[in-house]
Amino acid sequence: MLNIIACFKWVVDEADVKIDAKSRALLMERVGYKISDYDRNAIEEAVRLQEQHGGNVVAATVGPSTAKQCLKDALSRGPERADFINDPSFVDLEPEQTAAILATAIKAKEEYDLIICGEGSSDLYAQQVGPALAERLGIPCATCVNKLTLAESKKEIIAERKLDDGMEVVSMPLPALVTVLPDINTPRIPTLKQVLGAAKKPVDNITLNDLGQTYKPCLQTTGILAATMERRRLKFGADEKNILVIIGALLKEGVIA
Amino acid sequence: MNFNLTEEQELVRAGVREFCQKYVEPLAEKVDEEAYFPMETVKKLTEQEWTGIPYPAEYGGAGADYLTYIIVVEELSRACATTGFTLECHTSLASYPLYKFGTEEQKQKYLVPLCKGEMLGSFALTEPGAGTDAGAASTTAVLDGDEYVLNGSKMFISNSPVAGVFIIIAMTDKSKGTKGLSAFIVPGGTPGLKVGEHLNKMGIRGSVTAEVVMKDCRIPKENLLGNEGQGFKIAMMTLDGGRIGIAAQALGIAQAALDESIQYSKERVQFGKPISSFQAIQWMIANMATDVQAARFLTYHAAWCYDQGLPYSKEAAMAKLFASETAARQTNRAIQIHGGIGFIKGHKVERLYRDAKITEIYEGTSEVMRMVISGNLLR
Repeated sequence: MLNIIACFKWVVDEADVKIDAKSRALLMERVGYKISDYDRNAIEEAVRLQEQHGGNVVAATVGPSTAKQCLKDALSRGPERADFINDPSFVDLEPEQTAAILATAIKAKEEYDLIICGEGSSDLYAQQVGPALAERLGIPCATCVNKLTLAESKKEIIAERKLDDGMEVVSMPLPALVTVLPDINTPRIPTLKQVLGAAKKPVDNITLNDLGQTYKPCLQTTGILAATMERRRLKFGADEKNILVIIGALLKEGVIA
Repeated sequence: MNFNLTEEQELVRAGVREFCQKYVEPLAEKVDEEAYFPMETVKKLTEQEWTGIPYPAEYGGAGADYLTYIIVVEELSRACATTGFTLECHTSLASYPLYKFGTEEQKQKYLVPLCKGEMLGSFALTEPGAGTDAGAASTTAVLDGDEYVLNGSKMFISNSPVAGVFIIIAMTDKSKGTKGLSAFIVPGGTPGLKVGEHLNKMGIRGSVTAEVVMKDCRIPKENLLGNEGQGFKIAMMTLDGGRIGIAAQALGIAQAALDESIQYSKERVQFGKPISSFQAIQWMIANMATDVQAARFLTYHAAWCYDQGLPYSKEAAMAKLFASETAARQTNRAIQIHGGIGFIKGHKVERLYRDAKITEIYEGTSEVMRMVISGNLLR
């Protein structure tokens, strides 16, 4: 029996973001929202482990009160209930704030063996919330996980980590936290009955008032502009002499040093 | 007035889009090119519980509304019209008459496996000599003891080569014209029931369509659906609902034509700039998008009427008429925007153009739709 918390973030669907060609401003008037891509893997992994070993899955999210739409989406993917930690001020939170809010709520009301987060969110991809949450809860954490197995003793979780220079397998005593990569599984598409049944699942509405503290940001965003790719439109020949010219151009642009 | 879909309808739409990206789009070209029936996709539709969307859970359905079903057909057709239509034919034409007119026993025996996707259904009304003129049907059903004996042939019967059960309309009393028609439940594989070759079609090429021939095909008396003489009414009511499904199919095709045109016009460069910067193209895109949106509103409104228990015959006819003609017109426009490349096999807009045409013909031609609409208005 495992009690698992799957954390997820409700993010702007990047496919809907348009760019104003002149000002490079992001046009967000007609954007849709979705569960952050890797968080869907987190929920799927939690449900998979629960199906295998029994127990409970709670989907937890922090966001503005208007993000209520995310709950049916998350619950249709298998968790039994959701923690909706919300306040109108919970917009554009920094990862550290999100981790602190999640930690307060989880400490106050949840019993858990395992917390699963996505490796990073589709919007910011800061990769901070998971490790910061583990730190605040005082539990071990493994990031970049692409395989998760419960040890036979049922007291440890074995995580395979995909690192730049190879694979690492770690074992952690429970309770623990992992952040998962998309390779770990293929999230199921909810069936029609799962979608229709989501509304019947319980949601704990947790407000800033319930948390009993405030969470100040440390950063100030001064502006967001779309990235541009400028083409230099340089032409080179394919002969030996031109290789030096190419290298010279790359050095000049700072592509190589 | 509320134009918002429910959260559940939005989630289903997102789910179908993901499903199409994963399973339907990658097969669509093969389905068209090889006239390949995508049975593997049908199995997956079953796993998603999309094979009995608008029917109650007690009959194996999902108990969702008709609009949810319409959204699923629209999105499937946007990726592959064959797949969307296969589900439409199964749900609207085969399952609906069983749901509406079947006895409890008939529903348990046939509707439950249809809704659960354990088998596909087919509906046989058209004959070589009786298309729009359904009363000219020459297929007969004669009561012989405890059995009806069916003889005759049905033409252009969709899903027939893969169907586990057929709803067949046959004449029980020729002297009464359309009032002499009756509907029968005929299980696939019944001796005397033969399904011909998969017809080589211009569009929706993977959808399996064939002639169905009955030669002394005996079925138990209890397989009469509704009462004797109710066949025409059953067929017309079935087609009324089906027309919303065909409107959704046409809508999906038209939306796909618009999607392809927007994308291509932004990528294709002529005279040093994307063709989307030319007003001729901009106007085409504007007209396409406006038509598609109008088709969507008519289609969703017809489905909404169905869900509200309001009359929907006229609304379904309007939706089908406008959406199918939109699909035909706008797939043509999409090829125009694409130029030469749009005329080449293997390009999606070329397939869309061929897939669109049938929506103006089956489940009632555009001419019949105008008759239904005007008939409702000029009573």
